[in-house]
Amino acid sequence: MKRYLTGIDWIIHAINHINKKKTGAGNMFQIVLQMEGALDETILRECLNKFVKKFPVLNGRSMRDYNLAPYWKIYSKEKMLPPNVRTYRLDDNAAFSKVLSTLEQGINKSFNSVREHLAFHLIYAGKTSFLAVVFDHCLFDARGAEVFLNMLQQEQKNETDYSNRISLAESAHLCKWKEKFEAGKWVNRKLLQLSENKSRFLPLHSVSEKKFRFKIISLDERQTSAIIDTAYNEAGYLMFMPYTLAISIQVLHSIFTKRDICTGDYIVPVSIDTRPVEKVAQEVFFNHMSFFLIRVKANEADSFPVLLQSIKQQIYDQIKSNLPADIEKASLLMRIVPLPILGYLMRLPLKGQIASFCFSYTGEAAYNSPMFMEKKINNIFHMPRVPIPPGLGIFFSRFQGKLNVTFSYLDGMLENEEIDSVVHTLQSRLGTHPDPLLGREGTFAPSLSREGGRGMS
Amino acid sequence: MNKMSAADIEETLIQEVAVILAVDSSTISSSDPLHTLGIDSFSFVELLVFIEKTFNLKLIESGLTKEDFQTIHLLALYISRMS
Repeated sequence: MKRYLTGIDWIIHAINHINKKKTGAGNMFQIVLQMEGALDETILRECLNKFVKKFPVLNGRSMRDYNLAPYWKIYSKEKMLPPNVRTYRLDDNAAFSKVLSTLEQGINKSFNSVREHLAFHLIYAGKTSFLAVVFDHCLFDARGAEVFLNMLQQEQKNETDYSNRISLAESAHLCKWKEKFEAGKWVNRKLLQLSENKSRFLPLHSVSEKKFRFKIISLDERQTSAIIDTAYNEAGYLMFMPYTLAISIQVLHSIFTKRDICTGDYIVPVSIDTRPVEKVAQEVFFNHMSFFLIRVKANEADSFPVLLQSIKQQIYDQIKSNLPADIEKASLLMRIVPLPILGYLMRLPLKGQIASFCFSYTGEAAYNSPMFMEKKINNIFHMPRVPIPPGLGIFFSRFQGKLNVTFSYLDGMLENEEIDSVVHTLQSRLGTHPDPLLGREGTFAPSLSREGGRGMS
Repeated sequence: MNKMSAADIEETLIQEVAVILAVDSSTISSSDPLHTLGIDSFSFVELLVFIEKTFNLKLIESGLTKEDFQTIHLLALYISRMS
């Protein structure tokens, strides 16, 4: 059985290829469930073994068809590999920094084979357990992985089989060439426009470590509600994503400026979920996203209202000119290109770079149960490895009305004081106390926030 | 374009929100706040672009208050006043 890959899937494969080449591990993503009490390892293993067998797609691999379109080869259920579950036991009073460093081990460990795309790390730390779900971005996007976990929870609770509602259908897209080339023309023009001025990047040449490091900032419901109100007043109704992007640019702008990287514009690709709300439960596997390409001048980054206005206007203009849809269509043309060459081509417009940093706001989590295998979930946060270059990203997500911010960076890219500065400035801009990282005593309560739905991933 | 009534504008907006969210228009109430319908930043801007193209109103630059955007009904009244 096969599932044809879309152009966006192929771009994700190219990023995976680059990351593997640079660091040994691919374009992986980790979703972490923080739970009260000790999650039963035996139940977890039994459920997973039963559950994953329904999805042979999990053990597939990419290949090229006789018509040259790349596809995901899906092997028979009999050839399924059991999911890899690794357990860690930390001290009862282990600090979150210790948990985070264990989580970092998980996300930096490459998969064992080309057919492995999913792994689980279960961490016990006193009265809290953390289940880290590591997945290959070629297989899922973040929203898809959350829905997958949701199905696992629902099946475990109700014993209802949700696997038959999943859609894996995707055509080879070997028609409507004129439409694709027309879209390609517009995307190319946009890329040329982006490359007109010099762009700002942090140097990667000094990086010797090949691991990603993370900082997590977690807001409680009251803090989240307050920052959403502030965004509502300063950026407008349903403009939380542009607001968080503006904060992220300003936070990193100060790092660039202190390093005397004072020329050029910031280029930030913003990924967006292209699935309609109703389709989220069906389109679980592979990537359903496109991008805005935001370019910000340094003088805009100096003033928050000007920056906000610039971002909003660019998003408006790009939706009006259909850029995200054009990127989806144009990327289909790139599937003919082998991955190493595509990786090179992606870096051509910006002369060896892809972006100043990566950003996403995924909105409220698609995982919608307060429990996981009988354990109350206190939080869900994301830990993505970032494409290299730029090897740097700020990501916002929400669970049950609580905002989480993940700062992801290649080890060695930033000095310790720069990392502290990013964390403290983010905390200050988001109105949290400058306490070390995650609030482990957070409690579940219904969301009070205004912006819901599919969000932008 | 002939001036549309507020009711017609409301119906047009409901149809567009249904298209954006890929849901049946009968499930959309004009009195529900947009964010409770599943509208987010991306789909909201899609709606603003639709309003500009259909009613020739650039709402992103206008002096809208939060209340004007709260529901499809209030948005339709605003568009009716402005167009």
